[in-house]
Parts: sequence; structure tokens; C-alpha cells
Amino acid sequence: MKRLTLTLLLVIVLVGSVFMTGLAAGKVLHIYTAFDTEEAKYYIDAFEKETGIDVEWVRMSSGEVLARIEAEAANPQASVWHAGSNTSHINAALKGLLEPYKPNTDFELSEILHAKDWAWTGFYTGAIGFVSNINFLKEHNVEAPTSWSHLLHPAFEKNVAMAYPYTSGTAYTTYATLVQMIGLEKTLDWWEDFDKHSILQYTKSGTACISMVGLGEVAVGIAFSHDIMAKGINAGYPVVMTFPLEGTGYEVGGLSLIKGGPEPELGKQFIDWCFTKQAQDLFQKYNRLPVNPKATVAEGSVTLDQVKLIDYDHIWAGENKDALVTAWRDRIGK
Amino acid sequence: MTGTQRKIREITEQFRLIWKEPLLFISILAIFYFLLTFVAFPIFQVFKTSLYINNKLDISNYLAIFSKRYYFQPFLNSMILGVCTATIGTIVGFIFAYALTRTTLPFKNFFRMTATFPIISPPFVVALAAILLFGRSGSLTPYLTKIIGRYSIYGLGGLIIVETIAYAPTAFLVLYGILQAIDPALEEASMDLGASDIKVFSTITLPLATPGIASAWLLVFIQSIADFGNPMVISGDFRVLSVQAFLQITGMYDLSRGSTLAILLLLPTLTAFFVQKYWVSKRSYVTVTGKPTGAMIKKIEWYIKVPVYTCCVVFTGIIFLFYGMIVYGSLQTLWGVDSTLTLKNYVEMFQVGKDYLIDSLTLSTVATPVTGILGMFLAFLIIRKKFMGRGLMEFISMLTFAVPGTVVGIGYILAFNQKSVLFPFILTGTAWIIITLLIFRNMPVGIRSGIASLQQIDPSIEEASTDLGADSNITFRRVTLPMIAPAFFSGLAYSFVKAMTAISAVIFVVSGKWNLITVAILGFVDNFKYAQAAAMSLTLIFIVLIALGIIQLIVNRIGKGARTIEIVG
Repeated sequence: MKRLTLTLLLVIVLVGSVFMTGLAAGKVLHIYTAFDTEEAKYYIDAFEKETGIDVEWVRMSSGEVLARIEAEAANPQASVWHAGSNTSHINAALKGLLEPYKPNTDFELSEILHAKDWAWTGFYTGAIGFVSNINFLKEHNVEAPTSWSHLLHPAFEKNVAMAYPYTSGTAYTTYATLVQMIGLEKTLDWWEDFDKHSILQYTKSGTACISMVGLGEVAVGIAFSHDIMAKGINAGYPVVMTFPLEGTGYEVGGLSLIKGGPEPELGKQFIDWCFTKQAQDLFQKYNRLPVNPKATVAEGSVTLDQVKLIDYDHIWAGENKDALVTAWRDRIGK
Repeated sequence: MTGTQRKIREITEQFRLIWKEPLLFISILAIFYFLLTFVAFPIFQVFKTSLYINNKLDISNYLAIFSKRYYFQPFLNSMILGVCTATIGTIVGFIFAYALTRTTLPFKNFFRMTATFPIISPPFVVALAAILLFGRSGSLTPYLTKIIGRYSIYGLGGLIIVETIAYAPTAFLVLYGILQAIDPALEEASMDLGASDIKVFSTITLPLATPGIASAWLLVFIQSIADFGNPMVISGDFRVLSVQAFLQITGMYDLSRGSTLAILLLLPTLTAFFVQKYWVSKRSYVTVTGKPTGAMIKKIEWYIKVPVYTCCVVFTGIIFLFYGMIVYGSLQTLWGVDSTLTLKNYVEMFQVGKDYLIDSLTLSTVATPVTGILGMFLAFLIIRKKFMGRGLMEFISMLTFAVPGTVVGIGYILAFNQKSVLFPFILTGTAWIIITLLIFRNMPVGIRSGIASLQQIDPSIEEASTDLGADSNITFRRVTLPMIAPAFFSGLAYSFVKAMTAISAVIFVVSGKWNLITVAILGFVDNFKYAQAAAMSLTLIFIVLIALGIIQLIVNRIGKGARTIEIVG
């Protein structure tokens, strides 16, 4: 009996102590970030150091962030949505989950870098490219693909990986790029071939295919140039990056204030900080292209003016996402 | 007396009993409230969400399931996977349990520890190891390709292997407890009367173990179809329902249809649950009239020994191979490219993962004792007490376990993000939402092991106690509890491990303040950072082992004479 009472007491003390720490929370900024844990920590630590503001953050894919913000709409738990393709931010804006905010910057944000009503802003960019395994190319004596049609080359049969267009901003940008170039029907026709002949596997995350190519699990992957640089080439994998000559799409990394978030003022301060030269310089480590003209671009990075870009319409891509994705799934069946 | 009168009489009788034992009555009410709020309500929210599109009642979600092959195919795939994994897993688990309780297998502790090892690691670690070993650039791939030709680990085959390794230990734990509790005197008697080993096995051991086998199969089946970590990593083009529901919610931001897919996943699970209950309940399991004794081992014929031993050695070897590969992988500079041995992944792990680790530990430590006590108490009520709504209680308590974690997670957000009549507090963003989720999600394991062991104990022992004047409370504490102590402590250890390694449900309720180590690891696996993921997983496993050792010490202190924790020996 005594032992039982003691055990119960112990449990009560434990539970109580957790409750107390929960109550003792001070003033902090809550963020949902779509960067990888390691990368997010790099930027957020710098922000904390510079401003002295405590940040509590959770890392999720942009899809998860959106699902989360939507579910929490009645009682938002975070103030800022940090990173992730602006496609998802546009989607959130359509659902009325974001609070428009025009950041204080020391330069002019171009039109493609913000929503008309400033519901979201873009704080980095990067183009879609191909990543290929050098050893595979040598062994099979083929060139790295420089055209969308090269992806159907027999050498790459069941040897291409990319993410599902409905789970990853990277893959959706790829899909929307093709639709904007040749139209929906032609894209789906092409993709059916591509799916049957070339695709080995779709992944959930847009960057996963880079490591798969690096490891030789597949020969070719489709991803953003900054990810290919940071997670492929700079990570030490034997990979090479190429771009389709016909033209390619690009990403704008989104940043937004969550409507009804608990700390709007701190959130605004964070967003402003993300556009400063110091913050934008940090992108060098992960090869993202800064939008602040004063910031330094990482060595070896491919800037947007070095590849042929299509006139990619982000707003259209964001607003039509549900319809385009449903069309894709109906045709490809995955 | 008419039927109606009899019924009324029975009900008044029940009320009279409640009056006699008010404490029991209050406990039952409280438990019903908790189950309703933390189990049924979130699932109801998910169900409701699946039926509403833009705040309007709309069944088009359900129509889409049957008209689109990308929804229907995953359903079939999940069933195939669940049945295969459950069957193979239960067979492997039974052979192991049999070898450890009924034969003279040497190094029993070693085999038991190895067999239960996958339980204390996050499930997706097995899939990770499988890719490191057998992926296209895997360590053993060149050799295996020479023997069986070109193959792919991605798909149904790979998934069955991986899930069998991950979940056969669950079957083993259930069956080990059962076989240990079956009094060997019956088998000895049968043998003394001239029955052969096979006859003893098929007419005594097997029928007595049937409830256990059914429980084991059910557990593995549910775990397999709800698992999303392994399919996420290794399913390739073989799409399963749990992953599709997850992708629908996280990828397409489609809470409504994702919930629908999850509800679809519930149907087979619930069916399995009812079939098992109906089928098992027709058999009698009472074999023990006192405290379970250790099995006496008679000589076993070689034709049983050889295959059983071989199976144990092979399975143990595979587990060593897989986890050895994780250790080896965690020490490589860049997996698959630069195999220079290094400790940098561990350094990085402590820079990035320290806070997660502390959070995981704190939350699990709070949740575990509550889970264990609640689970055992529920098992006791369900098996030994007669009251209205008993079946309902068992059913609801099993629900969180049957529903895919992703949906439980979404359900928790939907349910506890606003005040409701049932629960007038907001939980999202606090430690409490994670703790309650862990408690109610892991409780079924405690209940199951409690039920399995209570079914082995003759109720007349407890009746004797009651006849001698003890009330329910004293009988439970002084008579029942000591007898089910082994099951209780293994349930405790198991729920701690599950709390530490949980991923699919908690990923939705973690917050900036309270985050978990598994969420961080999945980030690495997601990005094919195998070496880092391996290093973090190993650290987690190591910490779980230490914690289990501490639980063991506490158990030795407070429960002298109780058995050791069954989970790691």
C-alpha cells in the first residue's frame, strides 16, 4: 500500500513539474519552417543571436505546414511560416490563412517576389535542373540530359526519380513548368511515357532524389539548382547539374505572416530580418539565390540569368494547383 | 418470468453492485469520460471532416474512393501487406516463443534480447538498414545480384521483410507471455500418457495458445497496415493506404479526403478486431490456478528441434546484420560515396538533436506510468467486472491503436485546438497534447497484455478473496496485481519505448516548445541523409536501453519478487 502511494506521488510530482514548465513560458516567437532541420537552425540561430529574441520552431514539409495552419485556424500556434515554395503560400493565401504584410527592406522587391496584397513575400529563388550520377554516365557512355526529351533516353530506363507533384513544391514546379510550356494535354501525354519508361520511384520530398542519384540508386533526378548544389555537389556526391535548353521553371521561396498568430510584431521583425544583407548572405552555405542585390551569391551557384527561364507564372500555378494535380493523378494513377 | 423482467432484474442487480462499490462506479465513469474525450472525440472529428467539404455535407469523398484506382489500389495493397506480414510475423514470433519456453535452446537470454531488439528502435530504422544492405548501392547488393539476378528491394517483397523484422517481436512478446503462463503440467501429463511431441503440441500447447496467437496476429496486422515509416522509405511503387492518407493530408492539404482514406483503413482493422473477439471468446483459456510457474522442459525430438533452432538462429542473424549495418552506416563520412570512418555524424547529432532528445525523454517519462496503470486497470475492468458498456469500453480503448497515427494526430489538432463541451481547454502547442496522445495511443498495448495474462488466471482465486470479505479494490491490489505484475511491467516498458519512438501521430502535435527526436530523424531519412539518421537512431536506441535499465531497477525496488521486464531480458 505504501509503495503504491509512493509511486502515485512520484507520478504526480513528475506531471506537475511538466505543467509548471509549461506555464513559465516567456515571450517568444513561434515559427513553422519548411527548411531542413539543420538549415533552419542555421538561419534561426543567427536571428536569435542578432536580435536576442527567442524563437521556438518546428520543421515540417510545406504541405504539413499548410495542413497544420488550416487545422489550427481557430487558434493559431505560430506567427510566421518560414520557407517552402511560394506555391503553397499562395494556396494558403487563397484559403485566407495569411496576414498581408509589406516588409521593410532596403531594396525594391520585384513583382514576382510578392503577392499583390503582400500576403506572402519571396526571399530566395532557384531554377529547376537535372542532377545526374557521373559514374553512371561514364559507364553507360551517355551525356547528362540537357532537354526534357532526353529524360526518355533508353539509357535512363527505370532510372529517373523525382517527387510526387502533389507532395513536393519542387515536383509541382516541374509539372507546372511543362504545362505552361506545352499545355496540359501534351504534358500529360508526355508524362505517361515518362512515367512508364523512365520513372523508377516517386519520393515524398523534393530533395530526396538528389541523394538517390548521388548514391547510384537512380541515374537522373529533377530538383532545384540550389538543392543540387548544396545536397549533391557540395555534399561530395559524384553528381553533375544540367538544365533543359528549352527552358525551365523556377522557385520563389515564400515567407508569410500567419493570420491571428500569437506574436505578430515579433513575426514582422523576423520577416524584415530575412531580407537584410546579413541574413541573405547566409544563403551561401546552402546555395540558395538571395533576392537582396547587396548579398553575396555562393561561388559556383547558377544564377537565374545563366539559364533559360520560361516566363513562369507562380500565381497561376498556385491558384490552379488542385485542378492540375487532380488531372495528373487521374491520368498517371498514382 | 418473461425475458423483459429478467433483463430488468439483471440491470437492477448491476446497479445494486455499483451501490455496494461506489469507488468502482466512479472509476468506471471517469474512465469513460477520458476514453470519450481523448479517443472517440478526435476520431469523430476526423469522421466528420471526411463527410464535410467546405462546411457542407458531401459524400463525394467516399464515391471518389471507389471510382479512382489511385485510391482503391492502395487499399488492396495494404490488405495484402497486412495479411502477409501478420502471418509470417506471427509464425516467426511463435517459433521464437516456443523455442524459449519449451525447448533446451542454449543462450536463451541472448536470443530473447535479440528478438525483441527491433521493438526499441523507431520502426523506419529497419527499412533504412534494408536499403543500406540491399538497395541499388547496398553493401550486399553485388553478391546477392550474382546469386538471384537483378532485383529491387523497393516494393512488396522488401516491405514484407522489413515489417516482419519490425513487428514479429510484437507477436513474440505476446506469445512468450502466453506460453510461459501455460502450466507445463498439462503437457507433461499428456506426454506421460504416451502422446508424441506433435500430438502434445497440436492438442495441448496450440489450443491453449490460441487466444495469444489471435492477439498476436491482430496486433501485427494492425501495426502493419497502419505503419507509415517503413512504406515511406521502402515501398517504391507499391502504394499503401496509410502513406496515401498521409500524403493526401500533408501533400495535397486535403484534410477532408485524407480523413476519408483513413476511415477506409479503419474498416479492415475493426473487422479483424471483431472476428478475433468473437472467435477467441468461444474458447476457454483458464489453465492456471495459481501463480504461473516456469516451464519444465522435457526432451524434445530432433525433428522439432532442428527447424525451430534454425529459424531462431537465422532470424537472430538477420537482426544482427540489419542493426550492425546501422552502426556501420552511422560511422561513414558520406554513405555510399566516402566510407572513411568518422564520428562527425554524432557530433552533428548533438548539435542539432540535443533539445529534441530531452523533450522526447521528458514527455515519455511522464506518459509511461500513466499509460501502464490505466491500461492494466482497464484490462482488469474488461475481463473481471460486469457492468453496462463493458464491450464499449474495450472497443473505444482499442480505437487509437487501430486508427493510423497520422489521423489520430490530425484528429487531436481538430479536437483540441478549440474549447468544446467535452473538454473546455485548448491543448495544442502544449506538452499535454503530446502526453495525452502518447498515453491513449499506447494504452491498448498495456490492455492487451493485461487481458492476455488475466485470461490465464482462474477467476476463482479472486472470487475467494471477495468471499473472504475483500472489496474490488483490495482484491485487485493484493491478489490480481501481483499475478499480472510481469505483464504490467512489460507493458510499462513497451509503452515507454513506443513513446520514445513514436512518429506518425505525434508529428502533428509537436510544437516549437515541445518537439521530438523521431521527428528530427525522419527529416534526415526524408532527405536520404542515411549516415546522420543512423547516428541519431543509434543514440535514441542507446538512451532507450539506459532508460529501460532504470525502469528495471525501480521495478526491482518496489516489486520484490516480480519478474524481470520481459522486453529486453
